[in-house]
This record gives sequence, structure tokens and C-alpha cells, in this order.
Amino acid sequence: MSIAAHSGRPAAVDRAPGARRRAAAWAGASALLYATTADAGGGPAALLRLDAEGTTILGRLLGQLADLGVRRVWIVTRPAWADAVRREAAGAPQPADVIVAADIADDLRATADVAGRASDRLIVGRSDVLAHREALAGLLADPRVTTGVLATTSGRRGRWAYRTRSARGRMLSASSPFHSIRRPSHFFLGFLKVDRRDLATLEEAAGRLAELADGPGRARFEEELARKVVVWRRRRWQLARAAQTGLWPDPEEIPLDPPLDPADEADVAERLRATRDDAGAMLVVGLVRSGVHVSSSYLRNFFYARPRSPEELAEAQAELAALDEDAVLLDAAVKGADGFFTTYFVSPYSKYIARFAARRGWTPNVVTTISMAIGAGATAAFAIGSRAGLIAGAVLLQAAFTMDCVDGQLARYTRQFSKLGAWLDSIFDRGKEYLVYAGLAIGSTRGFGVDVWTLACAAIALQTARHMVDFSYAAGRHEAIAALPLRDLAEPDERDGPPAAAAETEAEAQAAEGELPGPAERAEPPEPERRGLRGIAAAGVRFITRLEKRPATRWAKRIVALPIGERFALISITAALFTPRTTFIALLAWGGFAACYSVGGRVMRSVAR
Amino acid sequence: MTPLQVYRDDGPLAAWLGRTVGAALRLGEVPLTLLGALPLVVALAWPLSALTTGAAALAVAVLVLVAGAASGRAEPGRFAWVTPPVLRAVEYGAFIKLVALTDGDWMPACYAFLALLAFHHYDAVYRLRHQRLEPPAWVRWAGGGWDGRLVVASALALAGALGPGLLVAIVVLGPAFVAESVVSWLRFVAAERVATYEDEDVQDE
Repeated sequence: MSIAAHSGRPAAVDRAPGARRRAAAWAGASALLYATTADAGGGPAALLRLDAEGTTILGRLLGQLADLGVRRVWIVTRPAWADAVRREAAGAPQPADVIVAADIADDLRATADVAGRASDRLIVGRSDVLAHREALAGLLADPRVTTGVLATTSGRRGRWAYRTRSARGRMLSASSPFHSIRRPSHFFLGFLKVDRRDLATLEEAAGRLAELADGPGRARFEEELARKVVVWRRRRWQLARAAQTGLWPDPEEIPLDPPLDPADEADVAERLRATRDDAGAMLVVGLVRSGVHVSSSYLRNFFYARPRSPEELAEAQAELAALDEDAVLLDAAVKGADGFFTTYFVSPYSKYIARFAARRGWTPNVVTTISMAIGAGATAAFAIGSRAGLIAGAVLLQAAFTMDCVDGQLARYTRQFSKLGAWLDSIFDRGKEYLVYAGLAIGSTRGFGVDVWTLACAAIALQTARHMVDFSYAAGRHEAIAALPLRDLAEPDERDGPPAAAAETEAEAQAAEGELPGPAERAEPPEPERRGLRGIAAAGVRFITRLEKRPATRWAKRIVALPIGERFALISITAALFTPRTTFIALLAWGGFAACYSVGGRVMRSVAR
Repeated sequence: MTPLQVYRDDGPLAAWLGRTVGAALRLGEVPLTLLGALPLVVALAWPLSALTTGAAALAVAVLVLVAGAASGRAEPGRFAWVTPPVLRAVEYGAFIKLVALTDGDWMPACYAFLALLAFHHYDAVYRLRHQRLEPPAWVRWAGGGWDGRLVVASALALAGALGPGLLVAIVVLGPAFVAESVVSWLRFVAAERVATYEDEDVQDE
């Protein structure tokens, strides 16, 4: 449990000025854990023993939650396991009540009850999860996630997880034992954080979901689950047939009730045991369909497993022990989808500066301010108007950009996200860049006798308009997503599904690719045939989406867009080697091309929609 | 107002045109904007030596009348995102062209003025994104909106006083925009409201 403690990081964070305040904000958090899933042997998976640590999976998890500021816990379990779970709960570092529930309907009613009593944010989670503390901290301690889930795109980590679909940071659809999904993008890893303001919605949704799985609804519930089992069995048969013949069988060839070999049959049975009582997945559907903004915290490379037998637990522990949690945390502090230059030429070393800054107790805002100051220094150097000045300015600009990456990495590494930070970061980024343009223009007039102010004006106009394209397009998509109709909780199938257009972002395009089928995924509906302009645009969008799939074309696409890292590198190189005039011409030519490319792509997406 | 409406940065003149002329027009927001911008785009591409200040001012007038008539609609639609960047591009472009036409020596002042406008426009985006609040109406009206700014700039250009006019605008609007923004952020930091962080996966921050 003390994996993070000997990395030295938490002590460093505690020295940070914001740390105490953040801890106080977490004092009221409570958690509801489901210990309702049977392991392969039929016992509670949550009580598999970690012999080396002298505890169980549940015990370890309770310790992690206590460490993350969860002050009160409710554990929902089945009657047969109640005594064993009570014994484990008695040793928990925080008060832990055990609630006995007979089935998933009871679980949901218990959840509604707890949601009604909780006064601050509530964590709803599974108790059979062996994971890094930092994986949970990413959800629990990140103030950017108000109501959200722990999610992954990894089919291996999400082996027993229900799938979800997210766009632009918001969950649009989720699946559960009862609800199915089309075109999923992520796996829901069983942990859900519900903000205080959404507790009433959670309570109401849980009550309604309980009715779906109970009384007269029970037969329908079992029917939906049985339909899922049919999907899994047919998929198993398809995979086995493909392995045998080397050919992917047509969907029409698959028998409705295909014969499976014993190993596959056992696998399907295991999947059913592991996923049938997933009340958490039901709640996620409930929140999404009630219109709650559910965001995601991503697992990244942290460890997460749901061991289903002592053997699997031993394997999981071995894998967990081999991972350096602090190194994974530092890697996770690097932004996921960043530009090429930033990813390969800055982040590999700037993350160590971020760790150094964390150990010193610096706040991200201090680093942001230092970056701005270095940027002002670069401006002054450029304004001198000599070769030495241009070279010095180029070097200082790169230093400023490095610190600019450090502030975000430091914020993610120490989870210090201040309200002022995001704004300061954005406004200083723009400020630095546009100051540097002015510095270059002054230097050009003073030292090189060339008036480039018109070019500087064109450059600032182009860059601002380019940003405005990004902002407006995003705002338009947010509006469209927010206007989507809400589906009723009692509706199991997501019939009309999402539009057949491509994924919203690169990350989603990658996420949607080549994963194992999740437990509740329906077969893809045939894409509607489109003619004329829309057909051409749809083909174009498909082409662009395909570019995302290969790293070489994906990076080429990002470099073409001239993101901030590439822009600053372009300024530094052209200014140091040539004259400010060359810098502005390069910025305008490349930026102009990037503008055409991004506007063209978005127009195509809009036409195809 | 929707975020896209805030991004438009309409002034009182465009708002009035939208209520009067715009209400009588059938054409949608995006076609009106593109149509209105067309003469100005041609003027921007036209060689400086062959363009008169009067012609540029005329193109600006068409933009304000036609694109301004689309103000206040908030039409949802697949192409709604097109309007704000088009307005920004032609507005910034028009300032550069007008200064180049009248007295190119004022180009540094034009740069400073564009930087101030950029601050004003980014500020609205970041406030909506993080604070979930748009800047107060008086800030937008004080800035005149793209319509008001362009009309005044064209008149000053015709009178041969655009350069000094830009300086005055920087001195008057600069402190007002920056001070108001800083105050709003300090108020936000002190407030109970939590910050929202959408679009974490946006590429170019």
C-alpha cells in the first residue's frame, strides 16, 4: 500500500502551498464499494488474499481510499459473504459499514439510499480491483473531474469492463448488463466519482434502475443479459472459425446458437459471472441518460486488474511489482496528444524538470510566470537587431517553451490544478508568442534595416484566426453534443446510434481501433449509403481518419497543423540562421497552409455530418 | 448567449442591423457572413497601389451591412462554426489594409492594436471555457464590436487620422480590457464555483 510513499513524491507535494487546502476539500468524500462479484471458485473476488501484504484485495483498496481522503465507506455484498466482508471491514482505516444485498436490484437500491445520505462527493467503485494508488488518485484527486469515471482504451485492462462512448471529453453513451452500445470508444473500469451537485440525480437514477432489474422488470433484464451472452458466444465462434480456416466468417454464416469448444464455453461463463452484477455500469448509464456531464480520467499506463483466481492474483501482483509507479506517474504527466516537436524534443527532458520542481515545492503558476519572464527576455534579445541577439533570442524562446511544457507537467504530476493556472497558462502562451513577433519586427527595423511590421501584423492576424477556427469548431461540436436527445433508462438498445461520421478527435480515432469486443457491444449497423457531395465528404473524412491509424501519417498530419512546439521551433531556427523577415514569411506560408488544411478538413466533416 | 454568439463579438450596430434588416432577410447566418465578407476579401487581395481608401471603406460598409444583419440569430447547424473565424480574419485584415493604404508608418501601432484585439477575443474564449461565464456586455459594447470598430476605422482612414486613432484606442481600451479581465479572474478565484476544463484533448494549447 505504500508504493507511493517511498517514491518521495507525496512528501514533496505536501510542502507545496496548495497541498493543505486541497486535502481539506477532500475531507467529506465517501465511497460505496460493491463486493458482489464471484471469483472463478465462486467466492467473493474482493476477498482474494495478498499473502505478502497480509491483506485482501478489498483491504488494500480500503487503505488506498483512506490515503486519498475517503473518510467513510459502505460495502455492498451478498448474504453468503457478509460475515467475511464484515471481518475485513472491521480492520479498515476508516469507518466501513457493510450492506447486505441479494441481487443487483438490491445493490442499486442501496446505492440510492447512500446517495441520499452522502453530503459530499461520492465514489462508487468495485472492491475486486488491484490497481496503482495513482490510478485511483487520477479520478479521486483531480479537481478537473467533477463527475466522472476511470476509463481506458486498453482491451487488456478492460477485459471485464462495460464499454462507453465519449466525445470531446464528455460521455455520450454507456453500456451495462441491461443497456447496449454502438461504436464504443472506451472501457469503464468500475470507479465513478459523483459530485455533490449530481447526488440527487444519482439517487433518482439508481432507484429507477433498481426497478428495471426487479419484480416485473426482472424477466426483461434477464432477457437482455441472455442476448448479450448470445453475442459473446457468436463472437467466440467467429474467432475460433477464423483461427481454424484463416478466413473471417461473414456475419450471416454464424449460427444463432453456435457450438463452442469447452474452453470457449468456460470463457463465456466466466465473462457472465464477472459482468452480470455490474451495478456501477448501470449507474453510469443512468447518469449519462439523465443528462449529467460525465467526464473521464484515463488509466494511461497505470496498473489495473480484476484477478479472478489466486493464480491470476499472483500474476497481477508480479506485474504490479515490476512497474515503477513514480515513473508511470511522470510519464502520465506528459500530455497524451501533443505535437511532434513537443513529444520528441521537449517532453522527454522537461518531465524531469517538472519532477525537480515538484520536489522543490514549486507551484505550476510560478513556473508559468518564469516562462513568461524568459519569453520577455527572448523578445528583448530579438529586438536588439544583431545576429548575436537573434541567436540569444532563439535560445531563450526555446527555454521559455520548455518551461511552458513544465508547468502543465508539474500540474498533472502533483495534481495542482488552480483556477488561475489554466488561464495564466493560456494567456501567457499567447502573450509570449505575440511579444516575440513584436521583438522580431523591432529588431528587423533596427538591425537589418527592413520594415517587417506588415508581416508581423499578418502573422498575428493569421494565428488568431487559426485559433478562432479551433475554438469555434469545438464550440459548435459542444453545442451539437449538448443538444442530443436523452434516451430513456428503460430502453436497452441504442437504436439509432451515433452518426456514422468519424471520431471527433485523434485520440478517439485511435481508441476506437482494433479493441476486443466488450461485453455489451452490438454488431455494427451497416453504414447508410450517401450520394453526391455528402458521399465525397464522407469518403474524405474516412481517408483522414485512416491517416490517424499509422504513426508516420499521424505525426505528419500533426506537424502540418503547425502546433505551438513546431511554431516556436520554426521561429527559433529561422531567426537564428536567417533574418526576422524569413521568420515571418515562414510563419505565414506554413501557417497559411495549415489553416487551409484544417478548415478544409472541418468543412468536409461538417458536410458529411 | 451561446459561445458562438459571444465569439462573433457583435457591437451595437450589428445588433441593431440584426433586429431590423436581418429580421426581414431569409438567408442564413453563414451565407450572409460569407456574402458580406466577399467584397472585403477581394479588397484585401487587391494590390495596394491599385486600391483606394474609398473602395476599401465601401467593402467594409458592405461587410457591416450584410454580415451584421446576421447578428443575434444563434442558428444551430453544421456550419455555424464558420462565422467567428471569418469575422476575425476579415476584421484583422481590414485594419492592416486600411493602415497600409493611409500611412504605413503607423504599422507598429496597428500591430499593438491587433494584439489588444487578440487579447479581447482570446479572453472571451478562455472565460467561457474555464469560468463558464461570458464577459459582461459593457466590455463588448465598449470595444464597439467588430462592426463598430471597422466603421470608425474606415471613417478615420478617410479623414486621414487612422494612425492617431489607433493610438487613442490602445490607450483607452487597453487598460479597460486588461483590468476588467484580471478583476473577473480574481473574483472567480475567490468564488465557490469550480473551474471547468473541457477539451483537455485539444491539440494546440
